[in-house]
Amino acid sequence: MFFKSLDLTTALRPLLLPDETLLFVQDAVGLYEGKYKIPNYQNGHAYLTSHRVCYVAAEDPRKHSVGIDLKEIDRADYQAGFLKSSPKITIYPKPQKNKDKLRSANASPAVSQTTLQPVKPLSPHPQSAVPHPSSSPKPINATWICPICSFSNPVPSNFDTTTATPAVNLPPCLACGIKPPFTTVLKAAISAAAGSASRDLPLPILNSLSVEDSTVTKNASWTQPTGNGTVSCHRCTFVNHPSLIECEMCGSPLVSAPTSNSGVDASRSDSPAPFFDQTRITNTEVTESIKLSFRAGGEKTFHERLKGALIQRKWLLQNAPPVPPPSQTSSSTPATTAVEGPQPAARAAVGIAGLEQRRLEARMNNQLVIGNAFEDLEALMASAKQIVALAETLARESGMASNEGSAETNAVLSESAAALGMVTTKDMLSSGSENLYLSELSRNLAEYLTDDRKGILQREGGIMSLIDLWAVFNRSRNGVELVSPSDFERAAELWEKLKLPVRLRRFKSGLLVVQRFDWSDDKTVRQLLEWMDELRAAPPEEPVPWDWSEFGRAVTAQEAAQRFKWSVGVAAEELEMAEDRGALCREAGIEGLRFWSNRL
Amino acid sequence: MTTATSTAFAFPATYNFPPFFTPQPNTNTRHSQLQKWSSLIQAWCRHHRQYRLSLIEAIDTPLFHNAQLRKRLDLREARAVIDWMAKSESEGGDGRAEWIEGSGNQAPKSTAWIWWRRPEEWADTIADWVEGTGQRGVILTVYELVQGDGTVSQEFHGMDNDAMLKALNVLVKRGKAQVFGAEGQEGVKFF
Repeated sequence: MFFKSLDLTTALRPLLLPDETLLFVQDAVGLYEGKYKIPNYQNGHAYLTSHRVCYVAAEDPRKHSVGIDLKEIDRADYQAGFLKSSPKITIYPKPQKNKDKLRSANASPAVSQTTLQPVKPLSPHPQSAVPHPSSSPKPINATWICPICSFSNPVPSNFDTTTATPAVNLPPCLACGIKPPFTTVLKAAISAAAGSASRDLPLPILNSLSVEDSTVTKNASWTQPTGNGTVSCHRCTFVNHPSLIECEMCGSPLVSAPTSNSGVDASRSDSPAPFFDQTRITNTEVTESIKLSFRAGGEKTFHERLKGALIQRKWLLQNAPPVPPPSQTSSSTPATTAVEGPQPAARAAVGIAGLEQRRLEARMNNQLVIGNAFEDLEALMASAKQIVALAETLARESGMASNEGSAETNAVLSESAAALGMVTTKDMLSSGSENLYLSELSRNLAEYLTDDRKGILQREGGIMSLIDLWAVFNRSRNGVELVSPSDFERAAELWEKLKLPVRLRRFKSGLLVVQRFDWSDDKTVRQLLEWMDELRAAPPEEPVPWDWSEFGRAVTAQEAAQRFKWSVGVAAEELEMAEDRGALCREAGIEGLRFWSNRL
Repeated sequence: MTTATSTAFAFPATYNFPPFFTPQPNTNTRHSQLQKWSSLIQAWCRHHRQYRLSLIEAIDTPLFHNAQLRKRLDLREARAVIDWMAKSESEGGDGRAEWIEGSGNQAPKSTAWIWWRRPEEWADTIADWVEGTGQRGVILTVYELVQGDGTVSQEFHGMDNDAMLKALNVLVKRGKAQVFGAEGQEGVKFF
């Protein structure tokens, strides 16, 4: 298992691969290798995606960010917090074939001891104890996890994903005897089938090493001798043990004691664990295990979702063919098979008849897809890819039907919505972490704004009002997980604090606008003055009573909006700002307010 | 004097600048605008040998009305300009005007002295002239000073009587002259 360097987006979040989805985010997380803390990686955001576990440090995130592919992870253990030790999640790498010797050579004594012990199978799964040849033609080593007792059961060898229906009699769980839901087994079988080609069968076994290791680290992290660091009570002067929160004698709170184990103690300079002696960990191989220390909570959800992601193995599906529609071959829809049956013959049909035939087929197919999708939610998840593709084409078609201008915007909108794969929603974050939600939303927005594919800001001339942005952003979310205006404003206010490449600015009139961080009033004024110089250089179309070569021409907010692609409100504000700085002056007349280069 | 009035008044360049006629909200720009207006009004009055400016009358003259641009300074704005001019320099104005108290039916702030030369400056000019022509101790009537043959070459020839009295009062305060006689027939003695 390797620490891999991460590509970060403009908003300092990990750049997601195609098909990768964000599952969970937690802040105030520290990183350990084995039992050692890794310096500079002690306060940051942990991102769990469907493919990776990523860590991005709060400070200097470009330098200190690493990711670990889930496919290299064997399993993850949860370790509750105890006294000064924060709750941790330990991640164990999959064993590597030719690394065993090397590892025992440079492992710590405690670890090498454990390697001498007889290897005991970790998982009670009977099949995994027997190594399977990786070249087995039919992957019968698929396992499904019992939702009741989380025991991993083998998928029955006669279970065929293409023919199985809920009516098939499934064997009950080996541990608890409860029958599994059909979809669980179906999913497990599909993921195993899809993965059998690419995977060289790294069996999740025989890593007792990590188990022992975790107990060692667990012990080490809290039974550290505390020595002379005693604390005397300020009330009764009784000398207490440093780990105590309250005085043993009088019960008054001790000042120097840590206030709460689960409190947001992000710096953790007094953590009992020693530091790892390596400064750069990118591309470093992890020999034993890594740990994520959750100093501000969230570890339970993280563990839950990490487990889920490890079971789902989405990374295997990256290039997998779409799930075959089960009802296409199922006997329950004889009408469908009747239409699909003569398909090769129908291809031969030409002309209008052929077109009609194909249309009919397409309609039938659509009907099938939609019908299957809504049969139940789990099945919808399975055919999600198709449904999304279908919805997109439908949206595009409907866009074409209406007038051209809106067709273009519709296409842009639906595309940008698709590109906006990584939206942070509230349920992605543990409840109560309002700040985290806001900061993630803030980063989300910054990414959305600076994404060159969409060029939202460019189209608006580098500046746009917050209300416009709010509308566009919520539209691009396709009506789900909408952001409330107050959350939106608070998220926008965080840009400055999070050092993101966009800024919120308040004009004199109170209008809030969004602009790039390197955009300044000076720049705007310079642009305006350049424009004025241009106007002065060109003779006016109609003779004017004033000396145009000296005074130039007046501009209105509308003209400025047109030239700089600003909205009119923004243009008016910018002109007034320039006037405020003495670069322009105004002329109020019956034609309205016009601005001149300041010659007064 | 006749040659001065016959030639057309040369307006400054800013007179043809449309924003010149709009009150500027920016303080710095506004200050500069008022200064330009002040110097325009002073130049206009000097050109036309005007000492007092009646706003009601002047509002339709080319001074406040640029027919070419179809722009004008309205009465309220013109009053604001004179107001600014009437303030002393320490108050943020330039002390080049003085409102004439409205008498009887005249509305307040309708006429103002425009001091293209301040009374103190006039006093200096007169004192220099008296000195230069050796008329110390001589008694002159105000009429002689303003309309007499001896002062034709002087700038204060043809000056408004009231303005002249203001200038002479400055000299009185300095102890360089004494004004006596009934109203309308004042005489002045220079020391």
